[in-house]
Amino acid sequence: MDVVLEARQLAKAYGVGRDALQVLGGISFSVGKGEFVSIVGPSGCGKTTLLFALAGLQKASTGTVTFNGRPVTAPPRGVAVVFQDYSRSLFPWKSNRDNVAFGMVRVEGLSSVQKRDKAQEMLEAVGLQGFEDKYPWQLSGGMQQRVAIARGLASQSELLLLDEPLAAVDAQTRADMQDLLLDLAMRFKQTCILVTHDVEEAVYMADRVVVLTRRPTVVDHEIAINLGKQRDQITTREDHRFLAARHDVMMSIRSSRTAAPATAA
Amino acid sequence: MGAFRFMEILAWFRAIISFLIIIVIWQSIALLGLVPEKYFPSILAIAAGFRDMVISGELVSAELRTLSRALLGVASASLLGISLAVLGDLFPSFRRGFAPIAALIQPVPPAALVPMAVFMLGLGPKLYAFIVILVTVWPPYFNGVAALASVSDVQIRTGQMLGLSRWQILRQIKLPAAMPEIFAGIRYASSISLIAVVVAEMLAGHDGLGFLLIRKAFAIRIPEVYALMFVCAVNGLIMNTAVNGLRWRFAGWQLRMAGQAA
Ligand SMILES: Nc1ncnc2c1ncn2[C@@H]1O[C@H](COP(=O)(O)OP(=O)(O)O)[C@@H](O)[C@H]1O
Ligand SMILES: [Mg+2]
Repeated sequence: MDVVLEARQLAKAYGVGRDALQVLGGISFSVGKGEFVSIVGPSGCGKTTLLFALAGLQKASTGTVTFNGRPVTAPPRGVAVVFQDYSRSLFPWKSNRDNVAFGMVRVEGLSSVQKRDKAQEMLEAVGLQGFEDKYPWQLSGGMQQRVAIARGLASQSELLLLDEPLAAVDAQTRADMQDLLLDLAMRFKQTCILVTHDVEEAVYMADRVVVLTRRPTVVDHEIAINLGKQRDQITTREDHRFLAARHDVMMSIRSSRTAAPATAA
Repeated sequence: MGAFRFMEILAWFRAIISFLIIIVIWQSIALLGLVPEKYFPSILAIAAGFRDMVISGELVSAELRTLSRALLGVASASLLGISLAVLGDLFPSFRRGFAPIAALIQPVPPAALVPMAVFMLGLGPKLYAFIVILVTVWPPYFNGVAALASVSDVQIRTGQMLGLSRWQILRQIKLPAAMPEIFAGIRYASSISLIAVVVAEMLAGHDGLGFLLIRKAFAIRIPEVYALMFVCAVNGLIMNTAVNGLRWRFAGWQLRMAGQAA
């Protein structure tokens, strides 16, 4: 399998001297083409920090990231991020269609009419037909999330980085969004990295789960989820392989918690 | 913009109602003789003074001069203020260097600028430009600096992920996001601009409402003085309407957003 993204010994400290906070302690993993990888870790362990380093938005203190074999020093073309704070990533002065079309602001070879059509297509793909001319602030949180995803896809991404995208939505919306994300990942041939603190979600979504330790964060464990690409909210969650994988991930989190040195927070 | 029309019509309607109330109170005070009539003429006397000045032509030409100076002043000061704020955003060293200069000039009242400005620039249009811009530039500048600095990190990162350069992020993300706050500054600037023009005309002018006001006051033409004060107040409304129109154009989303929340 072709490696799309590789992180090697990523470490990151905020601040200097005695006040320095060592967040990432040397994280290494790689993601293959078309893979859906979940990264689980407790709040504050540095998941957003890690994602920003992968996206080229913020330099790690040491270590390297490569995307399609090239070192990442700035946000590369082909990578899209759906931010944890997605509703603030939408531009309130643009209609939903214009927000999605803005994903193509640096895409060459498309006329503005083509970009508009493509934005329309993406909005339909995320189930927002009829809301094109509305503004993000006229939508619910879950719908804003969809606009942000549509914009990412419109930017012709091949790697989608999702930062706790479903942390703030209700249970039903969450289930719908999980299935929508899986469907979109397949339809648009996206490689996905989903960062979450929700173990069930991590297992349900992924081909592989990367479990992080507490700060200074390293990869504790990687668990392959052999459930195939087709998932179903009811049957998958009852599948013994799902339950076994969930058990593995939870055990690994528990052991890393007891093994981790006590840190003054 | 239908919403704009409606809001503006409503604002003017309210203004007219308030104006009528003031007239009634005024006329009652004048009729009851609570204040010597010499300093407090009746509405009819003021209206007559107004009519005389319109017929003689002096009011129309003074009004046109003052209003165009104030509008031109606030327009150029706003453009300058926004440009300086943008420069400060692109070059933080410029912003830091400019901050003490701004802090020093900003609190000087317009009237205090007039004598030196007359020596340096004479009594022509340069004088008005200098005074009006020097007092009007600050609200758009300070609001612009603050608003550009407080644009959400998420929005900027979104621009970075989409491959935008620093300049493109400024142009396409930070400036639109800052527009509501910049327009709050421009609105404030427009009222200062009117004050500055009238003061400059009073102290060093040979035309305009301020000049006419001083001349009528020295001639003890009290009804005319009141009529001129009334014209100044109407100018405030005109400026406000003009700024609001632009605000709907450039920052209307924020008003619609706030309107929905209400
Ligand atoms: N810019 C920053 N400066 C200093 N500390 C930061 C900064 N960003 C994050 N942190 C700290 O680093 C830790 C990890 O943050 P984050 O990556 O947001 O964690 P997570 O996404 O897993 O909740 C937290 O303790 C947070 O307070
Ligand atoms: Mg986070």
